[in-house]
Amino acid sequence: MTLSLVMHDWRLLERIVGLTNRLGCAYTRVDVRAGEAHYHATIDFVGPPDALRRLDAQLSRLLNDDKEMSR
Amino acid sequence: MLQPAESTGAQLVLDVLADEGVEIVFGYPGGANMPLYDKLYAHSIEHVLVRHEAAAAFAAGGYARASGRVGVCFATSGPGATNLVTGLLDALMDSVPVVAVTGQVRTALMGTDGFQEADVTSIMGPVTKRSVCVRDVRDLERVLRAAFRVARGPRPGPVLVDVPSDILKAACPKMDPFAARPVAAAPEHPGDGAIDETIELIRNAKRPVAIVGGGARSANAVYLYRELVAMLELPHTATINGLGCATPGDPRFLGMLGMHGWKAANLAVNTADLVLALGMRFDDRVTGKPDKFARNAKIVHADVDASEFGKILPVAVALRGDLRQTLERLVRRLGREETMPRFSGWAAEAKALGGPLPADRAPHGELSATDVLDAFFAVAPDDTIVSTDVGQHQMWAAQRQRAIHPRNFLTSAGLGSMGFGLPAAIGAQFAHPERTVVAVCGDGGFQMSMAELATVRRHELPVKILLIDNRRLGMVRQWQELFYERRYSHTDLSDNPDFVTIASGYGIRGERIEDAGELRDALERFLGSREPALLHCACFPAENVWPLIPPGATVDDAMEAAPQTEAIVA
Repeated sequence: MTLSLVMHDWRLLERIVGLTNRLGCAYTRVDVRAGEAHYHATIDFVGPPDALRRLDAQLSRLLNDDKEMSR
Repeated sequence: MLQPAESTGAQLVLDVLADEGVEIVFGYPGGANMPLYDKLYAHSIEHVLVRHEAAAAFAAGGYARASGRVGVCFATSGPGATNLVTGLLDALMDSVPVVAVTGQVRTALMGTDGFQEADVTSIMGPVTKRSVCVRDVRDLERVLRAAFRVARGPRPGPVLVDVPSDILKAACPKMDPFAARPVAAAPEHPGDGAIDETIELIRNAKRPVAIVGGGARSANAVYLYRELVAMLELPHTATINGLGCATPGDPRFLGMLGMHGWKAANLAVNTADLVLALGMRFDDRVTGKPDKFARNAKIVHADVDASEFGKILPVAVALRGDLRQTLERLVRRLGREETMPRFSGWAAEAKALGGPLPADRAPHGELSATDVLDAFFAVAPDDTIVSTDVGQHQMWAAQRQRAIHPRNFLTSAGLGSMGFGLPAAIGAQFAHPERTVVAVCGDGGFQMSMAELATVRRHELPVKILLIDNRRLGMVRQWQELFYERRYSHTDLSDNPDFVTIASGYGIRGERIEDAGELRDALERFLGSREPALLHCACFPAENVWPLIPPGATVDDAMEAAPQTEAIVA
């Protein structure tokens, strides 16, 4: 599963890594680039399909809070 | 261009908090947050000095749970902040809005292993919705405002703002109360299609059951939930966080669901062909073995958090959005139906699936915890707020509580954190000074936070402590008895202190009873004054919580008594 994520706080990567591990998944590639006001991360995740689906859902929640914190 | 310096970071923190409606903060000062406490000295915000930072987080959570407002706690850097971890995780697990403001060492010291330095934002990451360190005073107000928005929702939870001491001391413009600020986005609601699908499933159901969770409390949707189950004459049950959502005395309410839930509730869900899961998250203490839970039912799941859909169980319909709006739409649509589906016959059948709660009998004349709690709930005022600690007494209380609203029964449900009961009661009493607030505690949990008796005394809070003392870590002892061949490893507390003397040391009236015949009069004295009081109930130690669905098992495996009946006390 490859996700393109927008992070307003680059430290969020730490949370993403922790959550990935907690759900029994892993990542095989992390690419983060700084934009003007936020960061673009492209991450290749591997893991059981159900865990990846839950990871995707929880990352959406995390990124929504991050977006709100940046306003 | 920077406006003239009229304020400081510390002053700004307090002014923003006040502007966000904060009237009270629970906290503890230390080196790094001294600038904040210095400004607090003359500020209108009331501060409650707890005796351990863990209690500050629990009290802020208790305040938030009881009031629906954001609870706020302060702690200093390093150990002060780390002591908040459990209380913040408790708030995260139960979706309780809390904002924690921690002092941090000055920015120049960060990363040098300075005195009382800890990487607080990293530590707090997994236990909060967001944790942020403010390194520039110009960001401070924006971050604090955002912290309140995020804490409030859509799904409430804790947010931590870490502020280095030099940022607290830094000069900055005074808060402009009239400045334009971002507002929270309007809550989402499910589309008409999902509502129509739900109505269709209800129409076609023969044995529907509603399950309500803490989401109804968070969304202020309790009245709509009551309206929905009444109009459909539905049998319904609640997770532990949903207790109090049912209309008091509703004959179709089946009691608490789950591991220690009422038999009728568990069997009804097991028999149901449709489950309306409203603001709940299928915790393992509710489902047991997920693939056997509600095995014959289609599930309609309504929740504000999309990540909950399909997390544990597949759902037929996902109603994503604010639960109040979801239920409003559902009730309105049902009201327009030419013929309303009604399930009173099935509700009566569901109720008949179970009987009274099973309980162990106390040896002659001795006090049983379940008798104490039965008697307590029978005489406590209707609007009493009860907080619990965690363990057997928590489950006995949850089974028997008569809360008229979910904000009247406060318990560490998801995290199950001992030490919650007393500080949560303190927070609740500050939220509702006029109400009777009772902390129902076990002897284990009470000893994790009994220093907060000092907080009770200092503020002359009329908090009551109903101490269920079985001289054991009872829930663990019960599992040792049932699942670990009675190897009672380190669960004996028979050398407990004299709790009445301890209460007395804090200037709080205490009374000890150990005989069933003393119970009624003692409860009358306990509840009969507007002063703090401790009622120490020395109960027989072998009493177990029944029913019990063993972990990972199903309702078919429910136990209502220990397999053998000989003496089992360690």
